[in-house]
Amino acid sequence: MRVKIPLAICFLSGAIMFIQYFSRHPLAKAVYNGILDWWQIIFAFTLFVGVAAFIKSGLKSVSWSKARPSTGRKTDAPYKAISLVGLALMPILALAGGTKFGSPFLWVFDNMQAPMQSTVFSLLAFFVASASFRGFRARTIPATILLISALFVLLGRIPVADYFTESLAKATFWIQDYPSMAARRAILIGIGLGSMTTALRVILGIERTYLRGER
Amino acid sequence: MTNLKTRWIIFASLLALAVISYSITIKLKIRPSPQVQKTYDYIENLPESSAIVVSFDHEASSLPEIKPITQVILRHAFRNNIRIIGMSLFAEGTAIGYSMLTRTAGEFGKSYGQDYAFLGFKPQHISAILGMGESMRGVFPEDYLGTPIDSIPLMRHIDNYDSIAMVISIADGDRAVQWIEYAGARYNQKILAGLTAAMITTYDPYLNSGQLFSVVGGLKGAAEYEMLYGQPGSGSRGLLAQSMAHIFIIALIIIGNVIYFKGRAGKKGRG
Repeated sequence: MRVKIPLAICFLSGAIMFIQYFSRHPLAKAVYNGILDWWQIIFAFTLFVGVAAFIKSGLKSVSWSKARPSTGRKTDAPYKAISLVGLALMPILALAGGTKFGSPFLWVFDNMQAPMQSTVFSLLAFFVASASFRGFRARTIPATILLISALFVLLGRIPVADYFTESLAKATFWIQDYPSMAARRAILIGIGLGSMTTALRVILGIERTYLRGER
Repeated sequence: MTNLKTRWIIFASLLALAVISYSITIKLKIRPSPQVQKTYDYIENLPESSAIVVSFDHEASSLPEIKPITQVILRHAFRNNIRIIGMSLFAEGTAIGYSMLTRTAGEFGKSYGQDYAFLGFKPQHISAILGMGESMRGVFPEDYLGTPIDSIPLMRHIDNYDSIAMVISIADGDRAVQWIEYAGARYNQKILAGLTAAMITTYDPYLNSGQLFSVVGGLKGAAEYEMLYGQPGSGSRGLLAQSMAHIFIIALIIIGNVIYFKGRAGKKGRG
């Protein structure tokens, strides 16, 4: 029973969603809308689970019991503490002052969270620059082709390229429109067929790994 | 030279280059790409009072590149008296979207509820996109500020994609793909994407097949749009710094390879 009931639920849900796509019957529409609502509700609960798991793991790291036996120090404890304070602070600000324009919540978001995240993300440029110097080498013929294509696309994506020659922009578009697009289409079609196959296997009960759970 | 030293020189040079090129003003030759021109023309020719959805599907980390695109599109739409319905499928995009929409609306004296509204965030993007095709008030019974959707004048006659001229997904990832696959494929909704430069090639197949109406990509796209709009903004200003960084990276790749081949030739000579 522990296997058959979930398999039956899975088959029915899959079959209903498949059939309703091709039907304009009011009943099919009502079922479809009901499933969409449930989907939202279930997902909202997963957010609570995520927050609870984050708080649990954060509190564990901050507590003294998790101190490293060798040094007695907790390396990530301050960061976890800041995350927990942030997690608690934002809902408090939202509840106390609302989320309207000019509220403390929005001020903290605009002036603290957004700049901090942008700063961390912008560090990527430095690592890309360093990696391009150390790692992007024409060691083999495929690597050389990749490198030349990358140089063309890098140069073609900036307006400075127009100062050199117009054919550079044309070459960039050609690389993007033909070899790059062909590869992407192949990958996308592969993903699509793979998704369909997996979905069918799950609906028909052939793929059952999701039933195993944690042992 | 040690690896560490080289790294610091690269970091310092890039920083100096970015700061200098951001501080100086050089007018770059900007020509609108066909995609940006198509987007501009479409919004320009939309009848007044048409409604569009702008979905802020991105995080705060990509703001420097995403903000200029969003701003210029919002300004253009507001200038042409197009009504905007803002929303987000990313939790972080909610505050950004509300903030940006309210600020830009303020520039044009637009009033909340009449000319624009912000519906807020919905988790589980696929069901939200599909649900909006059936009933927007079903997915968003209240707006971001908790006002019942039926008491917002703008939303009174809008309930699904049939009343929406276009959905613009401002994305730093593949969230716009879901708009194409679910709102576009199932409900024939016209989709446009405002993307970070790194994501543009991901959308090329959709663009080429016509499933995606058009794309405004990266600072270059923003600068091109600003040029068409007739008011240079942060896109045009940041483009020089980004161009210089591109050239710097190209130079590093070339130098790195020259050193590599010289080293290899030296080894062969000794061997």
